[in-house]
Amino acid sequence: MSEATQSTSAEELPAFPAVVRDGGSAAFFDAAERGELLVQRCTACSTVLAPEARTCLSCGSVDLEPTVVSGRGRLVTWVVVRQAPIAALKGAVPYVSAVVELDEGPWLMVRLVGDAAPVADGRVRVDFVRSGAGEITGELLPVFRMEENV
Amino acid sequence: MSRSAAIAGLGITELGKVYGRSSTSLAAEAVRLAAADAGLPLAALDGLLISSGTKQDVGLQLANVLSLGPLGVLSTVNAYGASAGIMVAQAAQAIADGAATAVACVFADTPLKPKESAGSSWGSPRHSGREISGMSGWSLAGGAVNPNILYAMCARRHMERYGTTSEQLGEIAVAARAWAAHNPLAAMRDPITLTDHQNSRWIAEPLHLLDCCLVSNGAIAVLVTSAERACDLAKPAVHVWGWGQAHEVRRMQSGSQWGLVTPAARSGPAAMRMAGIGVDDVDVCELYDCYTYTVLVTLEDYGFAPKGEGGSFVEHGRLAPGGKLAVNTGGGQLSGYYMWGMTPLSEAVFQARGDGGARQAPRNDVIVVSGNGGILEHHSTLVLSPHARSGAGVPA
Repeated sequence: MSEATQSTSAEELPAFPAVVRDGGSAAFFDAAERGELLVQRCTACSTVLAPEARTCLSCGSVDLEPTVVSGRGRLVTWVVVRQAPIAALKGAVPYVSAVVELDEGPWLMVRLVGDAAPVADGRVRVDFVRSGAGEITGELLPVFRMEENV
Repeated sequence: MSRSAAIAGLGITELGKVYGRSSTSLAAEAVRLAAADAGLPLAALDGLLISSGTKQDVGLQLANVLSLGPLGVLSTVNAYGASAGIMVAQAAQAIADGAATAVACVFADTPLKPKESAGSSWGSPRHSGREISGMSGWSLAGGAVNPNILYAMCARRHMERYGTTSEQLGEIAVAARAWAAHNPLAAMRDPITLTDHQNSRWIAEPLHLLDCCLVSNGAIAVLVTSAERACDLAKPAVHVWGWGQAHEVRRMQSGSQWGLVTPAARSGPAAMRMAGIGVDDVDVCELYDCYTYTVLVTLEDYGFAPKGEGGSFVEHGRLAPGGKLAVNTGGGQLSGYYMWGMTPLSEAVFQARGDGGARQAPRNDVIVVSGNGGILEHHSTLVLSPHARSGAGVPA
């Protein structure tokens, strides 16, 4: 799983399909450009939630605000995908998808990059990779690495 | 409940690579077959419950297609793979409260297309272009975009937590195939070994090809009526002793048990409590098997094995023909046919009637049927028996 950060093939199939921002994701991708992982926090009870959460898992509040987190956590589970499930991921295989639990609590479904073998409950840390390849590049995406490899 | 329910009819269309027919047309045929199987005219139906599969393309117009008369019950039901059990429970409740007297419950789907792989029929969004946007674009780039991948994450979590192995999952696949060998309806009947399982290609590691279900076109219906009436009809009545359902959507937060404990842990005990039985009374399990892991975690959540010991529980052919617990006696969805919750339910009807032929389980007094949907997020359970609820053989 050394798909890492660069485009992978002569056909310019990207390891990470080019992701473009929209109004709802601009702050998330701006933070990524600064090397920060932006998630959400419940203003009512302070529970930290995944970036795409709509409702607080603890108290049900819909009043959420952006918050920067450490980007550190642990590996909950993972899968090695060897066959592209969709055309956009043809340049990605083989890749590792993972669930990571941030130290602040929320679970994220992310790509796990780097050469270190995944270890259950192992420490992970956010990293950022440029999506797209060649002339078609997109936003910088948060991904995770096993700590040993950082 | 004063009026208990029973399954009196079973209708199964051609299954598998059935092309050129709509899901609705197949659904209509299955309902007609179920009524005929019960020895009832279609006009006797006063209830219809409809469940649609991956295509989600069968609706209430099915009643028009069948030219049904006045109905007391008509609805679509969708809890994905848990729908079949929920339809039977709703039918039984309708019988009990007098809303209807004969309710057909039907599932139909046509995901397979000629010249396309089975995998491609499982609805992932097709992004031909390279522009993918917003937070959902980030999720998509994360790559966890279909059930194979998400179930593999669940299986991996169980393996890491409890030491469950791929070989143990393979035991489930091998047992299912051994049962399928004796099922004329099963698509895959050639025996497989654990080595075959281990050598089959990775779909999403740790899931091999032989950990994953088939994909089929077709339709299956059951006809539910009162137990009293069912006993006067053409086929042996299959009594509905109990039911349950439970749901828990994936909780993306510290402490989540997603993948390790499923809603089966609530649905199964509820159904068994209603039926007045415990796991030791169960003769046959027909368990929803979209993946081998689904069977393993359901056996744990139902209480057949302690949490974490499902792997060792299924070893040494325990679920296979001649094993200690008859599980998925028709080959399930791994080797038989992929009709969502109707796969385990239809095989349960065969077993309850004693129509299993060479695959008939040695005892069939108590049969548990499971349904599972989402990524281990929706669950239904039925307890069925050839005996009336108050009849002989009912444990205290």
